[in-house]
Amino acid sequence: MNEEKIKNIESIYENAHKRLFFRKQSLCPLSKPDSPKIDYKNIKLLTKYISEGGRILPSRITYVSAKKQKELRLAIKRARSLALLPFVKL
Amino acid sequence: MSLKTSMYEATFILRQDIPSTEVSKMVDVLTSLIKENDGEVLKHEYWGLRTLAYPVKKNKKGHYVMLVLKASHRAFLELQRRVKLSEDIIRNLIIKIEAFDSNDSIMMSADNEK
Repeated sequence: MNEEKIKNIESIYENAHKRLFFRKQSLCPLSKPDSPKIDYKNIKLLTKYISEGGRILPSRITYVSAKKQKELRLAIKRARSLALLPFVKL
Repeated sequence: MSLKTSMYEATFILRQDIPSTEVSKMVDVLTSLIKENDGEVLKHEYWGLRTLAYPVKKNKKGHYVMLVLKASHRAFLELQRRVKLSEDIIRNLIIKIEAFDSNDSIMMSADNEK
């Protein structure tokens, strides 16, 4: 009786352990296989990732992965230098 | 002697008050310049007279031209030098690209406005 109880408790712990370490799915909207390519010409895409004032939104708000955020940052800066996007919007 | 070539994407903004015939003339000049330096122009696009996000040298609008070219580094330097000298070109961006897409870029589709 006592041994059984202990076994049960052990199995619960084992399962809990398993559940703790499931794979987290990537939340990044730009890392999916069908997501658009980040390009300075794609203004429609880039405007989604800048604030109302024209600043680049932090990835903790947009959930963009670090790799894609780096590409995004470069693309936005290129678009700004070509006057496709503003540096500051009033 | 063959030089190592790369693909470049060059985008220019031309002054707002020049006619579109001047724009195509400028494209011809740059194209011949690249050809002289043993390069080739793979594609050129005219995005039209667009409103700039902020004024550049007192221009509120600008003619956007993009060239995709395959050229050596020397041709690239020559192009950059020539572009900087021109007073009609108010902004330029020349970047190296990995892959060439012969389809029209997003800019050519009309719905790419803010």
